[in-house]
Amino acid sequence: MENSPTLESLQAALDAQQAVFEMHQAMNVEVFYWWCTAIMLMIHAGFLAYEMGASRSKNALAAGIKNILAIALIIPAFYLFGWWIYNAFPNGFVPIEAAAALPWSASMGPDVQDMGTGIFWAAFALFGATTGSILSGAVIERIRVSAFLILTIFLGGVVWIMAGAWGWHPDGWLLTKFGYHDVGASGVVHAVAGFFTLGVLMNLGARKGKFINGIAQTISPHSLPMTLIGLMMIIFGFFGFLGGCIIFNGGETGWTTIYGTPTNLSAFAFNTLMGFAGGIIGCYIATRDPFWTMSGGLVGIISVAAGLDLYSPSLAFIIAVCTGIVAIQFAKFLEKRGIDDAVGAVSVHGFTGVAAVILVGVFAAGTPNAEGLPAISFVGQLIGAAVMGLMGFVPGYGLSLLLKKANALRVPEACEDIGIDEVEILVKPYPEGSVPAVYTGDVPNKLANTEA
Amino acid sequence: MGSSITTWENVSAYFTFADSPFILGLFSIGVAAIITGLIISIIRHENAAFDKI
Repeated sequence: MENSPTLESLQAALDAQQAVFEMHQAMNVEVFYWWCTAIMLMIHAGFLAYEMGASRSKNALAAGIKNILAIALIIPAFYLFGWWIYNAFPNGFVPIEAAAALPWSASMGPDVQDMGTGIFWAAFALFGATTGSILSGAVIERIRVSAFLILTIFLGGVVWIMAGAWGWHPDGWLLTKFGYHDVGASGVVHAVAGFFTLGVLMNLGARKGKFINGIAQTISPHSLPMTLIGLMMIIFGFFGFLGGCIIFNGGETGWTTIYGTPTNLSAFAFNTLMGFAGGIIGCYIATRDPFWTMSGGLVGIISVAAGLDLYSPSLAFIIAVCTGIVAIQFAKFLEKRGIDDAVGAVSVHGFTGVAAVILVGVFAAGTPNAEGLPAISFVGQLIGAAVMGLMGFVPGYGLSLLLKKANALRVPEACEDIGIDEVEILVKPYPEGSVPAVYTGDVPNKLANTEA
Repeated sequence: MGSSITTWENVSAYFTFADSPFILGLFSIGVAAIITGLIISIIRHENAAFDKI
């Protein structure tokens, strides 16, 4: 029979099918991270609404413009040096060869054969932009836009990604030496950005009127509803963020963590939602305050993100509730020491990020890593948490101190009185109406008067 | 003028000037200069605005 298939023709047909399958699998990887990146942009839409709402009306647009410019500057900064830092510094401060990640490399642009670099670069650039937004909210109403942009480029383009190279890279020294586990970036994004923010706040100082005779006063958001909606938008964006934290492998491997251990989106789904719910409840129990209750959703997710692949969902819920309660105490602790964190970023991101990393060492110690790497341990997580905190705090404090010495960190007092929008932005947010700028109530400070 | 390919056969990187690291380096310097220039312009704008108070 002349038309009978030969072994060679069957093999050729099989090879052709395999090629089609592999191409479609590579395209699926691209599609997955493309939409994760798009969804992550909702984090920035959320931060935009959240920070503008949290400002008094006289500073609302200044808060917004610095948020918009932050993302516009972190993206090119991450192209110029962020991606190279990630690839070059897994061993510490001494770079390894990573010329392909430099901006003049043929690898850093459209390439028919490369369906990974661009899409991973984009996701990481958006992670970097998130660190900038974490800083952005805490410093509203008194930082110079220029100073903020210098700080945010440094944080989003250099600092966090150095920490990422150490603790969020298959060859990062925190993983290879200590078995560090932080799948959802509680440490490398949130702790680093939160403690960077603390360093900046120490040099920036409090908003005028925040402390009277050492007692913290309430400076109410001009639009609490906008702030609450913004926070919920950030939560939505978190699903892109956390999706971007999982590795979509080709071949038969399937999903893995960034450390090469097996996991899947189902694991992430269980614990993201349970953490979200728990954090809201914890912060509500501790404050009864709408702003903190909604912030609790962030606290909850961040508190379980480091071990998102490992926790039982009920444990994740309990961790989130407890961390939500304790995070409020940390916010009070900072405020009593004269730190004016306008949106609680140090507590929500810094404290919770560090706690999340340590809690993996408490509850998941002994979990094996990929072959040849140390298992997860309490000591390893403790070291990792300390590294993340310091990696944020030291550069944030140092650079903001330099800006302060150059008289380039804070707006003049008269500008603060009038409002940055009136002086610098030259546009009014609400030209046809007035919004009360300051709420004076019987309670001098909400956070200080909460029960828990 | 910037095309780095003449055919789609066996193409890898195909973007403009992909075959010229020197030109890409110049573009990178341009990107850095724009970022730096923007920040300098914002500082000047702020100083001018604060002086008018």
